[in-house]
Amino acid sequence: MTRNKNVESFLPMTPAMFHVLIALADGEKHGYAILKEVARRTEDKVRLSAGTLYGNLARLESSGLIVESDERPALGLDDERRRYYRLTDFGREVAVAEAERMDEALSQARAKKLFRKPRLA
Amino acid sequence: MAQNTPPAKLSFSQRVFRGLMHALPADFRANFGHEMEGVFVEQKRDVEQRGGPLDFLKLWWETFVGIFRTAPREHWDILKQDCAYAARMLAKSPGFTITAVLTLALGIGANTAIFSVVHSVLLRPLPYRDGQQLIFIRQQAEKVGMPDIQFSVHEVNDYREQNSTLAGLVEYHGMSFTLFGHGDPERVSTGVVSANYFDVFGVKPMLGRTFEPGDERSGAPPVLVLSYEYWENNFGADPGIIGKTFEMNDKVHTVIGVLPPVPQYPDENNVYMPTSACPHRSSAKMIENRDMRMMEVFGRLKPGVTMAQARADLATIAGRLRAEYPKSYPDSIGYGATASPLQEELTRAARPTLLVLLAAAAFVLLIACANVANLTLARMARRERELAVRTALGAGRSRLLRQLLTESFLLAITGGALGLAIAYGSLEILTQFAERLTPRAREIHVDAGVLLFTLGAALGTSILFGTISAFFSGSNLSSGLKEGSAGAGAGRSRNRVRSALIVSQIAFSFMLLIGAGLMLRSLMKMQQVNPGFVAQRVLAMKINYNWAKYSGVERYALAAKKLLDRVEAEPGVLSAAISSGYPLEPELISAGPNSNSTTLQVEGRLLQPGEAPPTTSDAAASPGYFRTLGIPLLAGREFADTDDKKAPNVTIINESVKRRLWPTEDPIGKRVSFDDGETWTTVVGIVGDVREFGLDRAPTSEMYVPVAQSGAVSTLIVRTAADPQAMARRMREVVHEVDSQTAITHEMTLEQAREESLVSPRLTATLLGLFAGLALLIAAAGIGGIMALAVSQRVREIGIRMALGARPADVLKMVLGQGLGLTLLGVAIGAAGALALTGLAKSLLFEVTPTDPFTFASVALVLLAAAIVASYLPARRAAGVDPIDALRSE
Repeated sequence: MTRNKNVESFLPMTPAMFHVLIALADGEKHGYAILKEVARRTEDKVRLSAGTLYGNLARLESSGLIVESDERPALGLDDERRRYYRLTDFGREVAVAEAERMDEALSQARAKKLFRKPRLA
Repeated sequence: MAQNTPPAKLSFSQRVFRGLMHALPADFRANFGHEMEGVFVEQKRDVEQRGGPLDFLKLWWETFVGIFRTAPREHWDILKQDCAYAARMLAKSPGFTITAVLTLALGIGANTAIFSVVHSVLLRPLPYRDGQQLIFIRQQAEKVGMPDIQFSVHEVNDYREQNSTLAGLVEYHGMSFTLFGHGDPERVSTGVVSANYFDVFGVKPMLGRTFEPGDERSGAPPVLVLSYEYWENNFGADPGIIGKTFEMNDKVHTVIGVLPPVPQYPDENNVYMPTSACPHRSSAKMIENRDMRMMEVFGRLKPGVTMAQARADLATIAGRLRAEYPKSYPDSIGYGATASPLQEELTRAARPTLLVLLAAAAFVLLIACANVANLTLARMARRERELAVRTALGAGRSRLLRQLLTESFLLAITGGALGLAIAYGSLEILTQFAERLTPRAREIHVDAGVLLFTLGAALGTSILFGTISAFFSGSNLSSGLKEGSAGAGAGRSRNRVRSALIVSQIAFSFMLLIGAGLMLRSLMKMQQVNPGFVAQRVLAMKINYNWAKYSGVERYALAAKKLLDRVEAEPGVLSAAISSGYPLEPELISAGPNSNSTTLQVEGRLLQPGEAPPTTSDAAASPGYFRTLGIPLLAGREFADTDDKKAPNVTIINESVKRRLWPTEDPIGKRVSFDDGETWTTVVGIVGDVREFGLDRAPTSEMYVPVAQSGAVSTLIVRTAADPQAMARRMREVVHEVDSQTAITHEMTLEQAREESLVSPRLTATLLGLFAGLALLIAAAGIGGIMALAVSQRVREIGIRMALGARPADVLKMVLGQGLGLTLLGVAIGAAGALALTGLAKSLLFEVTPTDPFTFASVALVLLAAAIVASYLPARRAAGVDPIDALRSE
């Protein structure tokens, strides 16, 4: 579903969108899990609401960056209402490109000593 | 958590959340709604377990913001998709698209143009400071049928001093003077006004100043204020104009100011002067005589004063005058004074015509909408399969509705834009038209209000026909897949809607055609009416002597005689006359028959107490006037050269006067007085009635007096052997040879005057005819369309009928009959509507009743003929159906 779309056309991404991609990088998740992970990872700095989350999911899905996963956890372990999303190859490509773009910006900032103290990646 | 939570168990916050989600597009809700709600419930549970009330508020805030940030983007995305899809679909059926867009454009264009005019002329406040406070004051003599009498100097002063409701009362009269000192002697239209005239109207000068009380004192140095247009056109907008001097009426006038470009009421003038500078207005006779009336009076209401209070105030003053001056205001004439808003006064003539045109344009828009709805429904029938497939693929009904509305929206926007272009294009013609009806015409333009109106019309149309078509198309989408193109239940109900739409189109078209037909009949009657004079090969020329050189009636009489002798000696001139005016003179028509009517007294006839004295218009004519105009002399004699100031006063009356004053006696030799018995005038002749004030106005009482006895010399009338226009130049030369200081203000042949007097009804008839023709075309196309669709839906049935022995002629008759049936129903409804509505247009009709059977019958015939023509093609197709093919194809 990449529809010949150019990776570049998705850059730069909104922080919310990028965080959703990061959350899905290590495997498929349902909406609430994505939201929890983003909050945990950013120490509550990025808080997604239901509206923002699903607005982003809809957008990512229609652009082919993520798809709804067919696989479901064993019955009974999960709410049937939940849908699981996973990153497509294209989505991964876009996420990597965004990460690289940010990395490049970061190294330029570092070279100009725009950091208070060096941090380990 | 179970999926089917019964609604009753929903928590309050869940219900609020669901409510919030309605801001999102339905599709989005259908796709993610459940999940979003789930996420929200879990977030809430987290907060309840770990957080405090602040976290709870924060959650709600974030949820709220999240949804309302997401919603516009989602809606926008869908709109973009829908528009792209709609554009593709519309491009796929260019016939439908072009017809629909054109129909809408014409409907919207006609409406916008007419509404622009109505808005500028009837609705917008006057372009003066607090224009709604400005009023027009008039005196009346109701018992003698004079609703609008001008004011004398005494009367102006009385009303000004005695009123308690007006912040200002000013007088106006229009004059025409010759201005020297700026190239050739030039005739300038002059407004003679009170010093505070412009203050009361709230007009500030653009250059210099306007008048001050000192300018109006008698003996004050004469001053002029120029209108913006005159200053711009004749002085190249010279900023150094202030202080320049010109000679007028043998006096030096100094320019003190220039007006801004405001519309001027009641007349468009070149220059303005204070009352003291006008030789007529400042003459002792004028100032002293309470009965010499020549001024219009305007006022401004004090803040908070109502129209009714002002009217009561004026009536009180009138009562006082009646008691004080019984000779000037005898009980028998029913003297009074009243006022009306200036705005109403300025638009009185235009109102009925404009409202009729507005109604007509609205009908066209309604017909256009019905037609587009019908086109859309017909298209739906063809798109049934596509829509069914999309439904089967999961598109919800609301999604399809949205899609269909978008298509309608696109059509309406395109039609609206094109309509606006049409409106702009036609506005100039409409403005010229309106100029004949109201001085406000120059204010006409397409403005923001009208733009909004068009947009509203376009969107309203979109929703109207979009919803109708979408609603009925959605009624049974699954049947589209099952049954192919043959219409079943849904098809039948849709056909009923289509038939209803067609019937309403025919009904509205009928009403429009009736309106146009009645106007056309009136116009024809006006053209056929006997005007009472022979208009062919007569030239009329308004001449204005530099009156300062002529004092006294004898001087004028002499000048007139001299001019006539010279003119009649010219080769090609059959006869000539001098008079105060000519029949169907544009100024006379707009002033109306009451403008120069006077009361008179018949010798030996006493009025009963309370009886109103007779009134008549009067006109001055030289010997040869009746011969030149071809007005028949019925009894007595024409004027002769000997009827001058030294001879006894004589008059020639028209038939109307004879009928009213001497129905059974011979009027010749009878005497009348125009000045309460001071002097007596003998009737010497009777002439035929002339429609002086418009072909549509019945002739009024008219008494002619010799030019040599009245001194009213302002028109030269010449009957020529050949084309009168070819003589115009020579006539101008002769006028100037006799007196080089005579200004010629305008000239026209009487045939032109006659045509001119018909321009307004002709334009009304043309516009209505245009609208009606448009409606007829749209309705006929509609009938043709619905019959074609009906035939294609009934091919199978027709095939069976023919297989069972029906002849092609029977099928032809059946289809034609169906088309005619719809038309007859439409005609019946339209006739009922027309009978109810045409009464409103009565004031525009001439010698035609609003229920004129001839018009009704012809219009019905025209519509039926159009219906037959439109149904004929589909009917022939039906008659040509091959039963075998028809049955096999199903």
